[in-house]
Amino acid sequence: MSAGFRAVQWNRAKLVYDGVLLAGVTLYIGTYILLSVWLDPPKDEPAAIDVRIRSFGTCAFFMLTIILSIGPLARLDRRFLPLLYNRRHFGVLTFFVALLHASFMIEWFAVQNALPSLYDELTKVSDYGKFIGFPFKALGLLALLILFVMAATSHDFWLAFLTPPVWKSLHMALYVAYGLVVMHVALGVMQYDRNPVIPVMLAGGFLCVTVLHLIAGWRERTGDLRDRLSDDGWFSVGAPLSIPDKAARIVAAPGGERIAVFRDGARIGALSNLCAHQNGPIGEGRIIDGCVTCPWHGYQYRLEDGCAPAPFTEKLATYRVRVARGLVEVDPRPLAPGTPAAIRYE
Amino acid sequence: MRRAHRAVHRALWPILAFAIALGFVMALMLRPPPDAEAPPPAKELMP
Repeated sequence: MSAGFRAVQWNRAKLVYDGVLLAGVTLYIGTYILLSVWLDPPKDEPAAIDVRIRSFGTCAFFMLTIILSIGPLARLDRRFLPLLYNRRHFGVLTFFVALLHASFMIEWFAVQNALPSLYDELTKVSDYGKFIGFPFKALGLLALLILFVMAATSHDFWLAFLTPPVWKSLHMALYVAYGLVVMHVALGVMQYDRNPVIPVMLAGGFLCVTVLHLIAGWRERTGDLRDRLSDDGWFSVGAPLSIPDKAARIVAAPGGERIAVFRDGARIGALSNLCAHQNGPIGEGRIIDGCVTCPWHGYQYRLEDGCAPAPFTEKLATYRVRVARGLVEVDPRPLAPGTPAAIRYE
Repeated sequence: MRRAHRAVHRALWPILAFAIALGFVMALMLRPPPDAEAPPPAKELMP
């Protein structure tokens, strides 16, 4: 939440997050290189560079797998929410790890005066028609390009400039990058290195991401189907006490956006489930200090009108609510952002 | 995540996941045997 521009809004949580991240990456790469050198000492310079290529490459793959798992994990268990808080820094660091992996690959060719071979490999058009023998480095470079675009546009300036929906669409390209990385390894090192760890690593990472997304998607879908429309088009959410205090139930309007119905003691209010910052799921947040607080980055809004407290200017769409026959009902037609609509029930 | 994103996400990623799974399995099945002849010189340069 910002009332003015700052390059990076550092705070203690972000510093701790980045510190843990850097320590984890350093530990992984350091351990990988030390173990590799200890178990099979490199015979020459290219072999030593190869160890670096593999250590940074596998690190980038695991980082991408974790990044893609954070979203569903945070939905399935709130204890993973802190991982989501600074996911963008995670992504930027992944890009730099992948960039170093690529630069070591170029160095590997350079020390053998074989850069023309790399050029030939990438430009031999006939190989692009093959499956086995496909220029797998091109897949890696394309994934690196996607990671670059995402890292370059990760700042809040680009989020505001592109608007959250466009920014979010752009950053969904991470799934494509992950697919390219899997195939980069499957058609590359997996073809000439019979170490069983490689296919196990690829399949394990891919299955982890897939299964987590399936479980999270299934849970969300089940929640959507529970919601019912009443005769006059209002949504029945359930008894007031079925909404947890200082938290929300998320309902899905037919053909519309999701609505977060919050209860704060005897007050009930319905807001758009899309945070104005990154379109995060505001309904998965809580009411803290009297304000609805987004679980992703802590953006806050008043329950009564969906406005961020001064000096902040963000606003959410609100929805009319009523209690009829002992049930909380919501009108799925959104009101203009900032319109007071919360009620008090007795 | 907006409704449109959710719809694209739900439609896109199963296709992508299937394509990757298929590609991975094919790459695994079609691997040359370990005792295959050495590849041509240009291909030898593989880190």
